[in-house]
Amino acid sequence: MTDPKQRITEAEAIEQAKQGDEAAFELLYQLHKRRVYSLCLRMVSNPAQAEDLAQEAFLQLFRKIGTFRGESAFSTWLHRMTVNVVLMQLRRKGLPVVSLEETLESEDETPRKEFGTRDVRLTGSIDRLQLQRAIDKLPPGYRTVFVLHDVEGFEHNEIAELVGCSIGNSKSQLHKARLKLRDYLKFMRAEKAKTG
Amino acid sequence: MTCSEVERVLPEFLDRAPDDSFPDAVHQAEFETHVKSCLACADLVADLKLISSAARQMVESEEPAPRVWVRIAAELRAEGIIRDPVPTPARPALVPTAPRRRWSAVWLAPVAAALLAAGAYVVSHKPVAQVVTQQVSPVQVSPVQVAPLQEATPGGAASPVTGANVVTPAPETAHAQRSEARTNSVRPNPTKPANPEVAAAHAVAPSPSVEDQQFLSVVSTLAPSVRATYESQLQAVNADIRETQAYVNRNPRDADARQHLMDAYQEKALLYQIAMDRIQ
Ligand SMILES: [Zn+2]
Repeated sequence: MTDPKQRITEAEAIEQAKQGDEAAFELLYQLHKRRVYSLCLRMVSNPAQAEDLAQEAFLQLFRKIGTFRGESAFSTWLHRMTVNVVLMQLRRKGLPVVSLEETLESEDETPRKEFGTRDVRLTGSIDRLQLQRAIDKLPPGYRTVFVLHDVEGFEHNEIAELVGCSIGNSKSQLHKARLKLRDYLKFMRAEKAKTG
Repeated sequence: MTCSEVERVLPEFLDRAPDDSFPDAVHQAEFETHVKSCLACADLVADLKLISSAARQMVESEEPAPRVWVRIAAELRAEGIIRDPVPTPARPALVPTAPRRRWSAVWLAPVAAALLAAGAYVVSHKPVAQVVTQQVSPVQVSPVQVAPLQEATPGGAASPVTGANVVTPAPETAHAQRSEARTNSVRPNPTKPANPEVAAAHAVAPSPSVEDQQFLSVVSTLAPSVRATYESQLQAVNADIRETQAYVNRNPRDADARQHLMDAYQEKALLYQIAMDRIQ
């Protein structure tokens, strides 16, 4: 919050949390809640579900905090755990984590249409809500890779490992996701221009 | 290089590290020459870069509702992962190692802790005990109404603590304007004297939540005058929570109002805590 009592460091909080100290757990939560919740929300596009997922991610982390030895950054550990919780949920619901379309058309080399200069242009900036709405429209597989790479900053090899696909698959899905987002955003802009 | 060739190598171009170059320099030169001279490809490259950089800004853009921590803390406590700093043999009934489901004052500990946690970082965890003992009789909370805190115990997703969703709109008319004004003002310190508007809010309190009923049944063992004080304080803080919640629902981006709501939850936690200490 505005003036968090961060007199103790994250490392100290981790040690205190191992002793069952509530304030330490809360500090760790406060430090990472936005990142974790935002990730969940981007991936599932549903606030109630995102809350449940964020809760589950933190619980899994806190239950295992005794095993944390600091060999990797705490945040890295937490974010990977969050991704796993979300992916698990998607799989449980039968949603494709890797786009089926992608695996079917991976050899498909159909040239895209030339982009006419009459197209609406995105130059300038992209409104966050518009981008969120566009991400929501992505097929789950594309969305996963796009969120993990472009929003969360995971590398393709990490995504491949987390999601269970090839690195090439991750790369091409990312590219297709971006192209789709561009189309959605242009479409939204055109609609907005029409309606004033 | 043609437009479609540009598009084919584009992913590689976009995602290379700043100091990386294409596997072969000829390719890169051709790519750059084309993009410089082709408006469509230049647009495409610019748009895709823009999308990626806009995406990067979303990484911490959302704030979870306070109830998320409330639920986490309640679960950690119920699982014994959050432990009381010093075991207190004087109050065995309150140590949450007793069978969880059986009704006793046991529920108070996790609920109070969770409520307190909902108040974010306003009060750190150690001073609470002192604050509580100092405030036993004069605690006064501001007027207003309840967001029922349901099942602050385990069960995770299956038992949501719905601060926002379950709220019934506060009885309106005269209260509405006042609440909007209040949420923008600095919240009174809990140790300040009673607000004269408390009584007005009480007249319209809704039926109590399960936790509140349990709370009321605990305090019913106390002397009538003390009991009455607890009852009115609970009503007052519930009223505050509900009215603020209604306001936050209408104005979700009002950070002051959200802070106020967390403060109200914190006050409620204090109230539970006080009751807990009282019945030892
Ligand atoms: Zn071109």
